[in-house]
Amino acid sequence: MDSATELEQIETLAKEAETLKLRLDDERQKLNDVTLASVADRLESINCMNVKPRRILKGHQAKVLCSDWSPDKRHIVSSSQDGKMIIWDAFTTNKEHAVTMPTTWVMACAYAPSGTLVACGGLDNKVTVYPLSLEDDVSARKKTVGTHTSYMSCCAFPNSDQQILTGSGDSTCALWDVESGQLLQNFHGHSGDVMSLDLAPSETGNTFVSGSCDKMVLIWDMRSGQCVQSFQGHRSDVNSVRFHPSGDAVATGSDDATCRLFDLRADKEVAVYAKESIIFGANAVDLSISGRLLFAGYNDYTVNAWDTLKCQRVALLYGHENRVSCLRISPDGTALSTGSWDATLRVWA
Amino acid sequence: MEAAAAHQQKEKDPYVHRPCAFDKMEGLVREMQDPENGVPVRSQKQFLTSIPSAFMGECRRYLRRGVSVTGQQSQDTTGCLRVAGYDLVEWLMERLAIEESVEAVHIANQLCQYGYFFPVNDSKTLTVKDDSSLYRFQTPYYWPWQHRTPDNVEYAIYLAKRTRRNKQRHALEDYEIEALNSLRRNLQNKWDLIQQQAEEQVRLSKERKKGDKIVSDSQERAFWRVYRPPPGCLSSLEVVPVPTRGRPGAPRPPPRKRTLADLQREVELLRNSLTRTRIKMSTAIENLKNHFETYTEYDPMIVQPQPSNPWITDDQIFWQLNSPLVEVPTEKRVKRWALSMEEVMSDPTGLLEFTNYLRKEYSHENIRFWMAVKDLRRSFQAQIPVKVNEIYEEFLAAGAPCEINIDGKTMEKVQQEMKNPTRFTFDAAAEHVYTLLLKKDCYPRFIRSEHYRQLLAAGVQPLQKKRFFGFGGQAKKKASSTSVPTSGSLQQHQQQQTSGGGAAGTGRRRGSDRSLSGSAHELAICGIRDIATAPRVPHSHSQSNLTDIPYRGDLACLVKIPARPNPDDFQDAGVSGSAAVVRPTDDVCPWDAAPGPVPGPSSERPGDPGGGSSASVGTAAGGGEALTEARGASRKNSSQFDSGSSSSDVSVAVAEAAERLRRSCTLQQQQQQQQQQVAGCPRGSRGASVTFADTSRASVSSSNEYFSPQRSFDLSHSAAAPQLEETTDTPIGVVDTSEGSISPRGGVPAMAPVISISSIVGEILAEETQGAVNIDCKDIREENSTVEDDVVVEDDREDREDREEGNESRNNAATPHVRIEIDGEELAEDAQVVPVWEPDTQTQESTRAIPTPMEQQDNNDNEVCPWEDEENCRVDATYVKTYSTLGYL
Repeated sequence: MDSATELEQIETLAKEAETLKLRLDDERQKLNDVTLASVADRLESINCMNVKPRRILKGHQAKVLCSDWSPDKRHIVSSSQDGKMIIWDAFTTNKEHAVTMPTTWVMACAYAPSGTLVACGGLDNKVTVYPLSLEDDVSARKKTVGTHTSYMSCCAFPNSDQQILTGSGDSTCALWDVESGQLLQNFHGHSGDVMSLDLAPSETGNTFVSGSCDKMVLIWDMRSGQCVQSFQGHRSDVNSVRFHPSGDAVATGSDDATCRLFDLRADKEVAVYAKESIIFGANAVDLSISGRLLFAGYNDYTVNAWDTLKCQRVALLYGHENRVSCLRISPDGTALSTGSWDATLRVWA
Repeated sequence: MEAAAAHQQKEKDPYVHRPCAFDKMEGLVREMQDPENGVPVRSQKQFLTSIPSAFMGECRRYLRRGVSVTGQQSQDTTGCLRVAGYDLVEWLMERLAIEESVEAVHIANQLCQYGYFFPVNDSKTLTVKDDSSLYRFQTPYYWPWQHRTPDNVEYAIYLAKRTRRNKQRHALEDYEIEALNSLRRNLQNKWDLIQQQAEEQVRLSKERKKGDKIVSDSQERAFWRVYRPPPGCLSSLEVVPVPTRGRPGAPRPPPRKRTLADLQREVELLRNSLTRTRIKMSTAIENLKNHFETYTEYDPMIVQPQPSNPWITDDQIFWQLNSPLVEVPTEKRVKRWALSMEEVMSDPTGLLEFTNYLRKEYSHENIRFWMAVKDLRRSFQAQIPVKVNEIYEEFLAAGAPCEINIDGKTMEKVQQEMKNPTRFTFDAAAEHVYTLLLKKDCYPRFIRSEHYRQLLAAGVQPLQKKRFFGFGGQAKKKASSTSVPTSGSLQQHQQQQTSGGGAAGTGRRRGSDRSLSGSAHELAICGIRDIATAPRVPHSHSQSNLTDIPYRGDLACLVKIPARPNPDDFQDAGVSGSAAVVRPTDDVCPWDAAPGPVPGPSSERPGDPGGGSSASVGTAAGGGEALTEARGASRKNSSQFDSGSSSSDVSVAVAEAAERLRRSCTLQQQQQQQQQQVAGCPRGSRGASVTFADTSRASVSSSNEYFSPQRSFDLSHSAAAPQLEETTDTPIGVVDTSEGSISPRGGVPAMAPVISISSIVGEILAEETQGAVNIDCKDIREENSTVEDDVVVEDDREDREDREEGNESRNNAATPHVRIEIDGEELAEDAQVVPVWEPDTQTQESTRAIPTPMEQQDNNDNEVCPWEDEENCRVDATYVKTYSTLGYL
């Protein structure tokens, strides 16, 4: 078809999209019978949060950009601006491996479910896996699995060591076969850099969520590669997305200094976690096992703990001396790890 | 500045990435400068200022009222607002509804680091203090992210300009000189231009009013401090070097054009969304609430985990109890399986139990099929065809070995998919199996089954430890749960870990028993539960509780041990209520009870540690083991017991544990903490528990209580003490002293109990010698950690002097394990222990086999088999020895 008709089509489609959005808003509004606050009023508030720093992991020479917990609940992998990836025994604060990547700004790293493999990537646009073993030099067995056309911002293993899911600055997500490096599925739909993704907690779940600089939060079907749900609401880049442990909601953190909770079944935003005194963007969010507490790391060096049901801030954690870039609850929920541009990681409990 | 101003116009890029935070900060700072509602200006003089330079114009409106302050520096009179730190903080608190000033100070600091205002009198740092120090607002021209990032040419001009001005006020810092030199090198071709510009700017500035000059100078300087911070200072303006998030001025790609495909996808999605079924908001919220309520108790951030959060207490029991595959899961974990099928399926142990149950029912093909499909879905691409075939052959083909039962329609679908096998070929069948068979049939049956009920009943119930140091956990004391056992339990865990990989049941149990021996309570508890469970459970009993439980437990353990060498037996015994039997004996006075088998004096001797044990021994024909166990118990509760049951194994395990400990100092710390906690526990309770103990001893026992192992010691001591007193006053005195020392230290490592015994002996000697005591203590600790405790004790018995030396050597060897810093405690323990051991017994002990590690072989030989020796010699004999040692003392 020629370009004129194509432009025409684009225009009609754009119009249709607008009207559809309006109708959708109406639909959603119909079921908006109560507010979270009215329900949560009856809940007991969480008193005396006693989360304190318990470990400080020092060893990176530059900004820590990403971290992930090992399934053994005590090891952490972290990556930093200077291209180093470090495997920590966070419990003893010992470094077990230090790998130098052929790139700077390693913006993503992840532990495989077996705990014997880590993946990372960054400005090199690649996702590289490193089998962990005590005998060999870890970097000797590295393997490049996939390549994006822009930086890789996030990655995760979907319940298996054999596949890896990545998000990239090229605004796509991709599912790769680790062994062959084959692209199993591509996920198109975002119109901005994908900043974060998270897998649905369900064992059978075949969905994941992604957040992007286009301010959208999308839910994907991993099998078909289709976007199955979308959430709007943030006014700036969505930096972090995490599934609620029930699998029925996603929590997000954004540059607009808010965190939000979107319910998948109600198909809309349930809560906004914001405060006038919070000026800076949230880089990372995670939820506690019960989903009641939402921890968020901000650019103002702090971590805020939110009561997700009462929408109140219940704790403000100081400690880092630069922006908090990553934050994760340990798999058993006993601890919270944070990484920061001050080159340290901290474990809170 | 002029140069920068010149660039200003170019920067209007319509598509500039600009973090929202800058809008917010700018809004806030503008409000701050509002004459009506802004931050109060602290000024001594006010000037109406005309703001000279063009770029300053922007801030003119903010400076309308032209305030300037200058207190200290008269020349500093200008049209720029100056505010005090506390006013800033107060204003922020009010404006942003901040409750704690810390947060307001934090925000003020952030604004300062971004360069919105800066300290007047401090050109080095950019921090805000909550006091009367003064701050000046930066002119909006210099606000960050307003324009493109300044480049090196501008920086060079700025630096060059300063070199041309008054050296006193404008001298460059060291780092600036360096920067200027390197810029001169790098910008050689532009250097003339730069010099010209600098000169021009200096000339212009001379035309300005003095006040204006000062203000603009300081602002310019603050600006560069933000963009070119001194080494070591953070730059708040650094950004991720990716195209779309770059700084203003950086080249950025044009925004992505939405293609036809994009739009089609979006419209498709929107259409689909329109027909989506939604639940009401209230339902959604109710779901979230329900999830919270269901999982509250599993959320360590809200409810402290049992027995404790490893990150807080350094005690890894929680992880050991909840490792992926355990033989006996905790009760809480089993309960969790009942919440939903997903909970069972996502827990390896749950899945195993579920599968076991189904296997018993001959219906586990469904779950196996489901697992196979799950595995297929995440397999390597290359394996897919093979795996699809395998699954088909095994579960779906007609006459397959494990044919699953699915309806015809689903089967048709599968057949269809099989033509083109993918990782999703069996999804329909798996879905069918999962929802119809597993979820609606097998799972509910499993939850209602006897199998599940048994698991639940057998479930471990870790008890909470007392927290003496305000770790913030729930520190409620439970009668049955207290700190005392912690040390023992820790040892157990360690041993378990070392011994075992995942589910080494017996080995662990033994280890645990040993450790448990330290805390009789634990044993008792274990007994209550199933035997199997007992070992795993790290029971931390409050000492107060111990009085009740521990004794029984110990006794029971002891008694039963003799009868049943296995740790499990111990548990069983505890369960059976042998404990109760034992108790009476204890109460009676172990020695008294023991008397039959044991000679009067000898009986007394054993009485302390074995007091209960001896009695039990008397009851139990298998005196040897019982005796040894009893000894162990008395000496170091758990460790000895363990050793009794399998001394050699134990020792090995201990050694391993020790190694582990070494690896992770934290463990040691944990132990210490635990011990300390234990120590913190009411000693009196123990004493109370020990009926036989004399009042004097009671005190001792209380001191002993600090250490879980010591508890047993205490008991033994108490029992022995009377005897000792009879025999010799000195031992008692020793005990007391030791106790005194112990009590303050309280924190002997969990391992210590076992060790402590041996160490104690050695220490006693050492104390006599005095100089060596500390070393001994260390050694003891080490030994304890290593499981060498038993051995050590024996050694001590053998030759006190030798032991001392040996201990030292051992200690050295052992030291690697864990070097606990609580010598005093150890010493105290040792002292306590000492009374227990008698020289005679020692010799006998020495004769015993040596289970201990190589290093300690000698000691081990002696130690080794304290119980064995005891068995051989009769417990009484060993005890006698101990008593004799007491006499020594």
